[in-house]
Amino acid sequence: MSLKPTIGIETHIELNTNTKMFCRCAVVDTDEPNISLCPTCLGLPGALPVPNKKAIEYITLLALSTGCEITSKGMFHRKNYFYPDLPKNYQISQFDLPVGLNGELEIVINENKDYIQIERVHMEEDTGKSSHSGSGRIESATSTALDFNRSGVPLVEIVTKPVISSSKQAVAYIEELRQLSIDLNISEGRLEKGNLRFDANISVAPEDSSELGTKVEIKNMNSLRSLERAIDYEIQRQTKALEEGVEIVQETRHWDENKEITSTMRSKEGSADYRYFSDPDLPNMVLSEEFIKEVETLMPLLPKVQREEFMSTGLTLSQSNILSKSDEWIKKLYVKVFEQTKDSVASYNWITGELQGQMRKANIEVLPGWFNENYLSEIIDLIKSNKISFTSAKIILTEILTTDITPSKVAEQKNLFQENDSEKISEMINQIIQENQDIVDRIKSGEDKLVGFLVGQLMKQSNGSINPGMAKELLLKELEG
Amino acid sequence: MSDEFNIKNIAKLASINLSEEEQDSLSNDLSIILDHVNALSDLKLNSQQKEIFIHPLEKELELQEDEVVESLTHDEAISNAPKSKDGKFVVPPSME
Amino acid sequence: MDASNLSIREINSLFTKKELKPSELYSELFKNAANTEAALHAHLTLFEEENIKKAIESDKRFSKGESVSLLDGIPIAIKDNINIKNYKTTCSSKMLSNYTSPYDATVIEKLKEQKTLFTGKTNLDEFAMGSSTENSAFGLTKNPWNTAYVPGGSSGGSAASVGARSSIAALGSDTGGSIRQPASFCGLVGFKPTYGTVSRFGLVAFASSLDQIGPITKTVDDSRIIFSSISGEDIRDATSIINNQIDIPSKKTATIGVIKELMEDGISDDAKNEVNKVIEILKSKGYKVKEISIPIIKLSISIYYLIAPAECSANLARFDGVRYGLRVDGNTSYEMMQNTRAEGFGAEVKRRILLGTYALSAGYYDEYYGKALQARKEMIDEFAKAFKDVDYLISPTTPTQAFKSGEKTSNPLEMYMSDLCTIPANLAGLPAISIPTGLSKDELPLGVQIMSKPLSDNSLLDFSEIIENEVHFDRQPKGWL
Repeated sequence: MSLKPTIGIETHIELNTNTKMFCRCAVVDTDEPNISLCPTCLGLPGALPVPNKKAIEYITLLALSTGCEITSKGMFHRKNYFYPDLPKNYQISQFDLPVGLNGELEIVINENKDYIQIERVHMEEDTGKSSHSGSGRIESATSTALDFNRSGVPLVEIVTKPVISSSKQAVAYIEELRQLSIDLNISEGRLEKGNLRFDANISVAPEDSSELGTKVEIKNMNSLRSLERAIDYEIQRQTKALEEGVEIVQETRHWDENKEITSTMRSKEGSADYRYFSDPDLPNMVLSEEFIKEVETLMPLLPKVQREEFMSTGLTLSQSNILSKSDEWIKKLYVKVFEQTKDSVASYNWITGELQGQMRKANIEVLPGWFNENYLSEIIDLIKSNKISFTSAKIILTEILTTDITPSKVAEQKNLFQENDSEKISEMINQIIQENQDIVDRIKSGEDKLVGFLVGQLMKQSNGSINPGMAKELLLKELEG
Repeated sequence: MSDEFNIKNIAKLASINLSEEEQDSLSNDLSIILDHVNALSDLKLNSQQKEIFIHPLEKELELQEDEVVESLTHDEAISNAPKSKDGKFVVPPSME
Repeated sequence: MDASNLSIREINSLFTKKELKPSELYSELFKNAANTEAALHAHLTLFEEENIKKAIESDKRFSKGESVSLLDGIPIAIKDNINIKNYKTTCSSKMLSNYTSPYDATVIEKLKEQKTLFTGKTNLDEFAMGSSTENSAFGLTKNPWNTAYVPGGSSGGSAASVGARSSIAALGSDTGGSIRQPASFCGLVGFKPTYGTVSRFGLVAFASSLDQIGPITKTVDDSRIIFSSISGEDIRDATSIINNQIDIPSKKTATIGVIKELMEDGISDDAKNEVNKVIEILKSKGYKVKEISIPIIKLSISIYYLIAPAECSANLARFDGVRYGLRVDGNTSYEMMQNTRAEGFGAEVKRRILLGTYALSAGYYDEYYGKALQARKEMIDEFAKAFKDVDYLISPTTPTQAFKSGEKTSNPLEMYMSDLCTIPANLAGLPAISIPTGLSKDELPLGVQIMSKPLSDNSLLDFSEIIENEVHFDRQPKGWL
C-alpha cells in the first residue's frame, strides 16, 4: 500500500506592536509577572476591547504580501471556551470574515521552488502564560501559576490549505514565513521567544485516493528541528497503523521533545464547541481602499523578489534563498561587494562562508565600525589578480576584523604578497626538481597525480607565497620541456 | 424545534456545576422559554440576506493609535486575587 | 427646608444664592436614608465619610462663587453594576461580594469632574437580570409607595432611593427596560439614551449590544442635566458614538404615533388609560396623533430572550474564581471554575447563561441566535420606517402597575412578559423615556413611555417635559415626608 501524507500548518505570529491588540497596555518582554495590565486584558468586570490600528495594518500587510484577498468588511468573533489563562474565558478572534483569504507563499528547497496555498489569515489575541508547579510535568502538577502580561498581545493566525507533503516542505514553509514577517517588520521572528508558534495537522491516505485520511493535530513543536522530527514520526506512526489495519483516531497529540514521539494529550470528548458569534463590543471593521493603499506603501522588497534580484547577479536559487534569509547587514554587504567586484560567487562565498565563519569563531556579533564592503572587495581583487593566495586572504580577514587596517597593508606587513615573478618561480622549480628527481621520473612515466605533491613542495618551500596556479603551470612546462 | 436539549452538556459548556434538582428545574425553565421563543421560527423575514451589523446604529469600527497608556499597577492587578504567590495568580492545576 | 424634594436646578440655585449648603443637603439626604433604608433596602452601601468631606469642599466652592457645574454638590445614587474606584462593585451577586474595583467607569469619571457626590451603591437584580430586584443575592428592595410591592428592576435600588429621597437622582442601567420600568413603578422619570451615546466602559456588561446607562430622576429636566453630563464618545468604548443630536419638532408640528401592538391584550386597562390620557392632552394642544402598527413588536420577547442571554453567557464567562471574586476550590482549575460558578450565580443568572449557551451551541445557532439577529434588523428597519411617518411613538411603559414581591417568581416567562413595552427600544437602539402620569386604583404609580429616533434624545426630553408640565404628576410618595 503506497501512502501519501497530507500536512496543513497553523502558525501564530506575535506582532511587535507597542501595545496589545484590544487595549493600550505595553507589550513587554520581562520575567516580572503581571506588570502590564488593565481592566481589559485582565478581564475585569465592565472592561471593553478597543482595537489596535498598527496591528490591523500589520496583518493587512502580511495578507497583501501573500497575495490574499482582503476582506474589506470584516468582523471579530468571540471564541468561547474556559481556561485559566484566558481572562474573559473567550478569545476575541475572527471566524468567517478574516482579514485575508486564499493567498500563497513561495518556498525554496535547494534548487526547487514551490508554492504553499494559504487558506486564511486572521487577527486574534494571545492568552496569559501558565506555569505548572510540582514535579514540572503537567500531569502531576500541584498548582498552576498565571502571568497575564502576554494576555491580549496581537496574534496573527495563518492557516495553510492541506497541501504540504513532507516535513522538509513544512520546514521550508516556516522558514519563509518567518523571514517574511521579519522583512515586513511585523515580528522579530524569534522561535525561541515564541514570536512564531506552529501546530501541524497530519493525515495519510493511499496514493490514489481522492479523499484525505483522518487528520491528527500535533502540538508542542518548539523549533524547526522538532517540527521536522514530529512530522516524520507522525507520518511513520500513521503509516504503520494503517498498514496494520489499525484506525487512526482524530485527536490532538503532543510532541515529546525528549522521547521524540507524539502521544495522546488528555483526551477531549469530540471537538470543542466554541459557539462563535460576532463580538457585540466591536462594530464591523471596514478596511477602505484608502487604508489598503496606505498599507501597500509599507511593502518592502519581499523575500521572493530579493531572490530574483540575487539570482540576476549570477547566484543559484539555493544561494539566493540563503541570502534572502540572512540578516539585513549580510544582504546589504553582498549587494555592495558585488557592485564593486562584479563577482557574485566570490562575494557570496566570502560573506556567507569565511566572514560569517570567522565572526562566529571569534564571537563577533556585529561588524566593527571600520569594516565595510571595500575591505572585502579589496581581498577579492587581490586574490583575482594573483597577488595573494586564498590562505593568505583568510589570514588577512582575521586581522582586519580586529584591527582597523586595509587588506593591502596587512599583506605588506605579514609579507603575504605572492611571488608572481616567473623567473624567481622557475628558479625555485628547478631546485624542487633537483631535490625530487625520483618523483619527477615517476611523473614522466605517467604518474600525473604526483604533480600535486611537487606543487605542495613548492608551496612549502616558498612559504605559500607562490601563486599556486602559476606554479603548477610553470612546473608542468618545465617537466614537459 | 424545542426538542430534547441536554442540560448536562450545556452546563458543561457553560462551566457550571449543577445539582440534580437544578438540572431538573432549569431544564424545565428552558423548555418553557424555548417554547415561547420558537415563535421566531414562523417569522418570514422581509429583508434578503443583508449583512448583519451587531451595532444597532451600524457604527463602523474605529481603530486606535498604537500608543501606550499606563493603567493598573501590579498591586492593583493582584489586589482581588483569591490566591496569589510571587506576583502570580495561583489556581489548582489546569490540564492542557 | 425640605430640599430633597427639589430638582437639580432648584437646588443649584439655592446653593448659588447661599440659601442652602451642599453639606446641609447631604445631611438631609443621609437622614432620609437612615429613616428609609431599613424598610426599603435601596442601598447596598452608603458612602458616608467620603461624602461629608466632599460636601464640605463643595460648600467652600459655592461660598467663593467657584462652583464647577450644575451637579456640584448634588448627591446621586449609583447602581452597583457601575464601577467606582476603591469601592466594591458587587452586581448584587455572591460572585462579587468581596470585589473592590481598581478603576472608575467613564460615567463616574465624568461625574467626578462635575464634583457630583455619590450617596453609595444601590441594589439591583443580580447582574442586572430581572424586573423586580428580587434576584439580588443581598435581599429585596421595596417600593417606596408601598413596601408590599416591588420597586421594579433591575435598577430597583436606584429607583427606590430617589423615590425615598435618600438621593437627588440616580444612575441605573437599561438592557430591556431596567431604568424605565422601575422608574414607572416608583413614580419617577427614567431615561434610556440612544445606544452608544453614553459610554459602557465600567458598566458590568449584561448584553453588550443592548446595555445603556441612564438617569432615574424626579423631573425630566434632571434627566436632561445628567444625560448631558455623562454622554459623549469614549475611546475606551468602541460602541460609543459621537453625540451629534438630531433636532426633531417637540412643539405643535410634531406628530405622535400610538403603537397599536402595545395597546392590545397583555396590557392592563390602567396602563392603557394613562396613554389615552396623555393622547387627549396632546390632541388638545394641537398635536397630530395617529395609530402606528409595528407587527414585529409582538416578537420582541422572543428576539430579546435569545440575543440578551447569548451575549450574557459570554460576558459572564469571566467570573471563574481565577483573578477576583468568589472562589470555591476544586482539584483542578476546571472543577474550581465549575464549583465557583455554581455557588456564585443565582437561579435567574444561571437560567440566562444556559439559555444563551444553548442558543449559540453547534447546530442551534442558525435556528435561534442567527434568526434573532435577522429579526432584530427587521425591527430596526420597521422603526426607521415609522419615524418617517411620526416624530414620537407612545406606549405604556409596563403592562401593569408594580406587582407584589413573589407574585411573578414562579414562572420565568411571566416576569419576562412584563418587559414587552420596553424591550423594543433596546433592540432598535432608540432613546426612550418613561414619565409618571398617574396612580392606579391601588395608589401605585403608572407611567407612559415615549420613544423617538436615534440621536434625537434632546428633542425627546423637550417633548417629554411638555407632557410632564401638562400632567402635573404629584412627585412625592405620600406618607414618607
